[in-house]
Amino acid sequence: MKDRLRRFLNIDRRWLFLLLSVVMIWPIIHPSGIAGRTTQQSVKDFYDFIENLKENDFVILGVDYDPSIKPELQPQAVAALRHLFRRNVRVCILTFISGAPGLIEEIKQTVPQEAGKEYGKDYVIMAYNPNYMAAMTQMSIDFYKAYEKDAEGNTVKGMPVMKGINTYRDMAGVVEITGTGMLDAWVAYVGDKYNVPIIGGTTAISQLGYGPYLQNRQLLGLLGGMRGGSEYETLTGRKDKATSGIDALNLSHMLVIILILTSNIILLVLKEKN
Amino acid sequence: MENSLSVILGGWLSAGITIFLFSFLYKDNPLFKIAEHLYLGVGMGWWFIVLLYGTWIPKAYEPFMQGEYLLIIPVLLGISLVTQFIPRISWVSRYGFTFIMGYGAGLVLPLNLATDFMAQIGGTIKPFAAIASMGLGEFINYFLIAAGAVCVLTYFYFSVEHKGFIKKASNIGIYFLMIYFGASFGNTVMARFSLLYGRFDMLYDFSGARYAFATPVIILLTVCFFVYRHIADKKKAGITKTAKAE
Repeated sequence: MKDRLRRFLNIDRRWLFLLLSVVMIWPIIHPSGIAGRTTQQSVKDFYDFIENLKENDFVILGVDYDPSIKPELQPQAVAALRHLFRRNVRVCILTFISGAPGLIEEIKQTVPQEAGKEYGKDYVIMAYNPNYMAAMTQMSIDFYKAYEKDAEGNTVKGMPVMKGINTYRDMAGVVEITGTGMLDAWVAYVGDKYNVPIIGGTTAISQLGYGPYLQNRQLLGLLGGMRGGSEYETLTGRKDKATSGIDALNLSHMLVIILILTSNIILLVLKEKN
Repeated sequence: MENSLSVILGGWLSAGITIFLFSFLYKDNPLFKIAEHLYLGVGMGWWFIVLLYGTWIPKAYEPFMQGEYLLIIPVLLGISLVTQFIPRISWVSRYGFTFIMGYGAGLVLPLNLATDFMAQIGGTIKPFAAIASMGLGEFINYFLIAAGAVCVLTYFYFSVEHKGFIKKASNIGIYFLMIYFGASFGNTVMARFSLLYGRFDMLYDFSGARYAFATPVIILLTVCFFVYRHIADKKKAGITKTAKAE
């Protein structure tokens, strides 16, 4: 018995990798539908902010992540854009991350068509800008000094979607989806300085760090990781990638908890016997 | 209909590189090395193109050609940074760095002080102004935040010896820190699993007929490669053993 327990503790970790893979792949093939039924307040606030926007309002949607964290953040960006389009809000998509334009293109190929939105009239995609500090500051004086041309090289000024937009004063807010410190920058350089409402979506790792901003209302809503994405999808009534991912996360977390508990119990038993 | 050959090729490349990188979990191998080097090479190429077409051409070259000659000043300051690699004239790079530091500090310091320092102090104290109209739950919540902030700050306050009341407060601060680290680690695990899920979801997508069954075929070929290597290694070890015995 003692030897068996010891053997379990010294198990080749590659078997655990295999077990984890099976546990993760299983819900992809057979979705179990055990997604969470709770909603965090910060997610509800994010939803309410967009829900309360008026028709024809203008919002910046920052897509600031690269493919390495796509599984966590792309579902958030897709759900937010769908929600904004449903509210008939004009959207300006921009990025300060060089790996993001391809992901924005991916979103562009599906979401606007579903919602029947027209490029240049209902939404616009700006060219990648490497200097976020300069762009954020310039937009407070003259939007077109920061963004003269869109991602396709067209002149932005004069597009129907930009009608009446010159500075942050003409915008209803900023929705920033990011895995970098860009959300901090929007809060510090734009939200606090020019009184622009900011809501954000971020990775689960960064989520906790934004607690002080949320408590202080410097940030009006927050989606954290895949869980935040799935709760938001549930609120918008359109379940997608984040919701299906939660099944796999639930099962894999359960496996980790079981393994931690089992190993600790075995250690205690062995200690007792010694 | 999309060009099916490019779709299939993209699927095979994406699934192949993912599986090759995952193969490191079994053991280090040439397939992993190929994927690793490809990643580094492609990454460098990608950055070069992004800098050329995303920054240099639209922000420097085109405006300069249209008559914005003053742009030569920031361009020269930028180029001055490269002189770091030539020891004889590396002092020139100081001008570029001086500008970056001055501009960065001037912009960042006042705003970050306002957002992350003053506003946070205010946010911790302000709720107590409405203490009379506060419910018990709300009071406990705000009290925990304020007490946690004070205790954690006490833990990092080293100008007085930690004994008596200061020691008790700093010990409580450790518990607040532990709770934060625990929650943070839990969220990190969740984030990493989300990324793993993303790759598995993609591999599942690429296992269909649309991508010419890329995932199962590549997994099978990878397993065959490992079996072949295992047999070859065993044979080699056998020959060496015999040679040594002779």
